[in-house]
Amino acid sequence: MSPSQPNDPTFQPAAMTDEELLASHEKLLEPQPDERARYPILPLALLFFFSGLILFAATYLNRYSGRYDPTVFNENSLPLGKGKEAKVDPVAFGKRLFNQSGACVTCHQATGQGVPVVYPPLAGSEWVNGPDERVISILLYGLQGTVHVTSKSFSAAVMPSFGPSGFNWSDDKIADVLTYVRQEWGNKAPPVTPEQVAAVRAKDGSHPAWSEGDLLQIK
Amino acid sequence: MKNGALLFLGLFAALGVSWAGIVLGSSRQFGALAPFYDGGSDQSFPAGMPGAAARGQLVYRDLNCASCHTQQVRRPGYGDDQARGWGARQSVARDYIYQPFVQLGDSRIGPDLANFSARAPSAPDAAIIYSLLYNGRGSMPAYQFLFETQKISGEVSSHALQSSAGIQAPAGYEVVPTERAEALVAYLLSLSSPFDYPESVPAAPPKDEKAPAAASGAQAAAPAKPAETKK
Amino acid sequence: MTTAPASVTPVDSDSGAVEACGRRPLLFMTGSAIAWLVASGVFSLIAGIQLHAPGFMADCPIFTHGRVQALAETSFVYGWLANAGLALVLWILARLGGEPLRAASWIGAGAFFWNLGVTLGLVGIAFGEGTAIPLLQFPLAVQPLLLVSYGAIAVGGVLAWTGRRRVVMYASHWYGVAALFLFPWLFSIAQVMLLWFPVRGTLQAVVAGWYEQGIWTLWLAPLALAAAYYVVPKARGAVLGSYDFASLGFWCLLFVGAWTGGRHLIGGPVPAWISTIAIVAASTLLFHYAIVWINLRGAGCAGGPALKFIGFGLFAYVLGGLGDALSAVRGISEVTQFTHFDQAQHQLAFTGAISMMLIGSVYYALPRLTGRAWAYGGLVRAHLALTALGVLVLVAALAAAGIVQGRDLMQPSVAFAKIGSDTAPWLLLASAAQAVLLLGNVLLLVNFFKSALCPFYAAAAASIRRPAALEARAS
Repeated sequence: MSPSQPNDPTFQPAAMTDEELLASHEKLLEPQPDERARYPILPLALLFFFSGLILFAATYLNRYSGRYDPTVFNENSLPLGKGKEAKVDPVAFGKRLFNQSGACVTCHQATGQGVPVVYPPLAGSEWVNGPDERVISILLYGLQGTVHVTSKSFSAAVMPSFGPSGFNWSDDKIADVLTYVRQEWGNKAPPVTPEQVAAVRAKDGSHPAWSEGDLLQIK
Repeated sequence: MKNGALLFLGLFAALGVSWAGIVLGSSRQFGALAPFYDGGSDQSFPAGMPGAAARGQLVYRDLNCASCHTQQVRRPGYGDDQARGWGARQSVARDYIYQPFVQLGDSRIGPDLANFSARAPSAPDAAIIYSLLYNGRGSMPAYQFLFETQKISGEVSSHALQSSAGIQAPAGYEVVPTERAEALVAYLLSLSSPFDYPESVPAAPPKDEKAPAAASGAQAAAPAKPAETKK
Repeated sequence: MTTAPASVTPVDSDSGAVEACGRRPLLFMTGSAIAWLVASGVFSLIAGIQLHAPGFMADCPIFTHGRVQALAETSFVYGWLANAGLALVLWILARLGGEPLRAASWIGAGAFFWNLGVTLGLVGIAFGEGTAIPLLQFPLAVQPLLLVSYGAIAVGGVLAWTGRRRVVMYASHWYGVAALFLFPWLFSIAQVMLLWFPVRGTLQAVVAGWYEQGIWTLWLAPLALAAAYYVVPKARGAVLGSYDFASLGFWCLLFVGAWTGGRHLIGGPVPAWISTIAIVAASTLLFHYAIVWINLRGAGCAGGPALKFIGFGLFAYVLGGLGDALSAVRGISEVTQFTHFDQAQHQLAFTGAISMMLIGSVYYALPRLTGRAWAYGGLVRAHLALTALGVLVLVAALAAAGIVQGRDLMQPSVAFAKIGSDTAPWLLLASAAQAVLLLGNVLLLVNFFKSALCPFYAAAAASIRRPAALEARAS
């Protein structure tokens, strides 16, 4: 050996040869004589540890995998099951439709308060919270003339049609935007389904814009 | 382990199995995602990237902007991306199918850019972006090498930036963005997710009897949150 | 022999015949590695300073933050870690096999072209040809060159393994051979799927994540562990504890580690199962870290700086694995994702663990390659102190900056300018730590010059000097 000091930083001596390294470690892999007839704890501890990790892994995978579905981006969700299309949340979609430029928000405002005399409010409106068919008819065919909302009168503007003679929105869109309006700004009315919109459309066909008096006939 | 062949096979299996599971599995699930056709507006989303924007993405890539900016909005309830006006919903795979080199990024030293051109409450325009690039702001350095300050000879260039945009040129000089800067601005102005795909804002799925009560509570809460989040 | 300075020719219990052929290429690789280490330290320092002083070198397009960041990461991994790791693995496989290193000229040519490729790649990145893919920043044109030169280098290693005289295989064999084979497969698949025929949309992010985590668990960790498993028992003279479980740890790393690809895509625009599997894999990988710890613990307890480097690196490795598993949990990653905390974990893993284990192994191996001890013992000790201090402060400062940034990001009213000023003191501390690390690595470079290059040149000069007339001017 070289006459270097212990822990000489310039040279770390080797304390065993390569042959010894290989042989001594290979020896450990052979079956060991059981000297004291005691089971060594380490394999048991490692086994428990590994089993614990597998248990955690399996539980976590089961809970948060979203059933490995490509449409599940939120780990808390479950896929809808085979054959069903993921449906958009009607409230969120309705909100988006409401806020499209040129659509509802332009007149009724983002707060749902409207503009005095010109555009009626939607917040707390008895028309919004009233019979389903009435509010669907307003959207599908429009409203003209004076209308009284929350004891105030509005006559300066015309509500356009969002149905076949106007913006031509689909049943889903009309249903979603109504669902959104009916739960926003303190309104508490049940959601509107596309089937209800389709029923109104089928019943009335191509109807001119409603007036207040005719609308109040709808129950 | 004595067998060399076994070692080699094991190496191949380890890599192959993980590649098959993660990469091949993902490829089959969303490697060929098509755009979504919206019957109501008679349009497909997302729209393809216009040429100037695609060139701009190359500039974004060569400057490695992704080292400080992400382009992925997290879902409501996970972090607070919605409240910062970065996007009303989570970014999903379909948002990126027409981007040649997806730049998701992994660091938010600067804000998220996924919906940059539709940022709430006020969307930026080209003048604002040029000013940002020229002057820098906060942790963002100034990228003056993307601009040329040149002497005005004859008429002022139609591309020259106005001093109202916060860019001051010395007297007799004009600041003109290079083609790279213009492409980059076109790219940044094209970044938005204009459509809510069904998978991005899913309705509460049918209650699963096996899931614990907390899970159904979380599912019910998650879709309701976007409506309640104030801008 | 030349009139070498006062270093004593070390007598090692192993025969030096093994290094006879492979000495030159391995020395070249080690020297380039150390040069790249210093270069990457400079780039990292610039990038770190720019985080809290954005105007630093902002006018120069080559040093714009994004590019400098890419330069730092690329030169560190493909310059320093690759060269040092491969040199050590080749040396260890030759040593254990008991035969001289074969195909030395292939290794030399491969090393030369690898370093040429890395240089060209860095020049490309500096001029804007980089790909902006983490850990795969090289311009596309350079990547095939790198792949082929890696193959040339690996040939020597594979031949040393298949043609070994001593048939028994040891842990260093498994880890070394794994590193040799897995990198080209990873690299070529990523090249094809991301750059030659790019896949669509966020599948790119999935492939990039699989590659990035693969580089860490299937290439870099095996390189470092191959060296550690060799040096630790040889230097301490004690058989590794519970070595019979070492193969379990090896297979766990390989089979489980490869599935951590979605680790950085939590909450991202990919289906949730990808990140869930990554989180699960990160926690199952704790089994591997436990076994490595059981095998190699106490490495740094007794011994010189070389062993202390390895011991520190080992501790950082296990701590990093634990931190990775814990921070993968969605509740924590909600706050720490996209922040400097991720960078802190990256530094702990790369600079703290892999790099330190390789430095220690280089300190062990070089005297056997050159045939003489290191020139300056004081510099070795100083390097150890500086690096340990630097890594501790760097990781702690970045982690603190990350937590501050994460908390601020969760509050929407906090503007980004305020986030910058909140994290600035911590980032300043991190830059100081990077400067300390750079200083330590410069000491290593100086030491290497004196230990390996100067005697080499002196010997070369001696062999061509003319007799008698120049005797009076002899050094």
